[in-house]
Amino acid sequence: MAVTGASDADVVARVLGGDREAFGLVVRRYEAGLLRFAGRMLGSRDAAADAVAESFVRAYRHLASCREPARLRTWLYRIVANRCKSHLTRRPIADVSLDEAPPVADPGDTEVELERAEQLALVQRALVRLSPEKREAFLLKHVEGLSYEEMASVTGERIPTLKMRVHRAREALLRVLEEHE
Amino acid sequence: MNAIDPRIHQALDGELSPEALSAELRRVVERLVTAAAVLAAPLPLASLEPRVMALIRRPVPSRARRLLRWLATPRSITFRVRPVWSLALAAVVALLTLFPIGREGPDIGEHEGIAQFVGRFPEAQSVHVVGSFNDWRPGSIALEDVDQDGVWRATVVLPAGAYEYMFVVDGERWVPDHLAERLVADEFGRENSIVIVRPARR
Repeated sequence: MAVTGASDADVVARVLGGDREAFGLVVRRYEAGLLRFAGRMLGSRDAAADAVAESFVRAYRHLASCREPARLRTWLYRIVANRCKSHLTRRPIADVSLDEAPPVADPGDTEVELERAEQLALVQRALVRLSPEKREAFLLKHVEGLSYEEMASVTGERIPTLKMRVHRAREALLRVLEEHE
Repeated sequence: MNAIDPRIHQALDGELSPEALSAELRRVVERLVTAAAVLAAPLPLASLEPRVMALIRRPVPSRARRLLRWLATPRSITFRVRPVWSLALAAVVALLTLFPIGREGPDIGEHEGIAQFVGRFPEAQSVHVVGSFNDWRPGSIALEDVDQDGVWRATVVLPAGAYEYMFVVDGERWVPDHLAERLVADEFGRENSIVIVRPARR
């Protein structure tokens, strides 16, 4: 199957044309970003893996309703974002386990690696204190690198609303980061 | 919440060069950029491809099969009824059996109702309805245009409840029913129609 370099629209057309296995390329192409996004949203790797796997299956089953296959990436983020928010509604943030805690120091770890792990734990802790909407806005903008137009497509919100959420998220994160300095 | 200098937001939104900021503001920008870079590290997780593809390859059980599975699953049901109430209940059941109320109607269950789907598609060759009642599977419920006037109809008996649905025209065009009782946006950016099926009174 020589579809590795195919465009998203081509891959979607192949899957809708009956080539079910071509959907594997969609998974390989987007799983890393979606897993990272869901992991940061939920604060749990296991929950993120479940949310993203379920989202891919839903996306496959509803692929015919993807109106713009060329913008498959934002469509997938939309499904995963909704899944994450639905998960957080059932399981409030206070109950979310932080399995991103800094790893136990290993004599083989370099000082840089340990510092990075501590930084990650601190930022992640600051992140979970944001509301899901602000967290989502910050992650889509600054971690996943989406434009405000793409974010509007993912969240269904207006651009001024998203800008306001990103601004508030930055302020809240900065406050937490400064508290720990 | 303390607002931060608006120039920091402008720099982070790409509307202002960080070079135009003071050293203090640039430090704040760098702190947030560093935080985002830390979060951008990939999660150490195995690929989801085998799991997702296995789920996709598994055939979706039909509605009848899922109903059968539900019926075959053992469940415990406990009734606690005072003797006087059980006698009263038996009397009501006996009366309803001997003297049925209401008119003759279609053969539908106590907790079922009739949903009617109507859409005007003059150019269509086929119209189906898909929704949460049939797992959004196209092709299972077809509408008919018996008199060829472009108005397609289907009458379906469904368990009472609220369902989201859309029409699928010619097997490829998904269209909401704008005459529906309600419309709702779904997670795929579409507008779904809502039908509320009320239990038929007998």
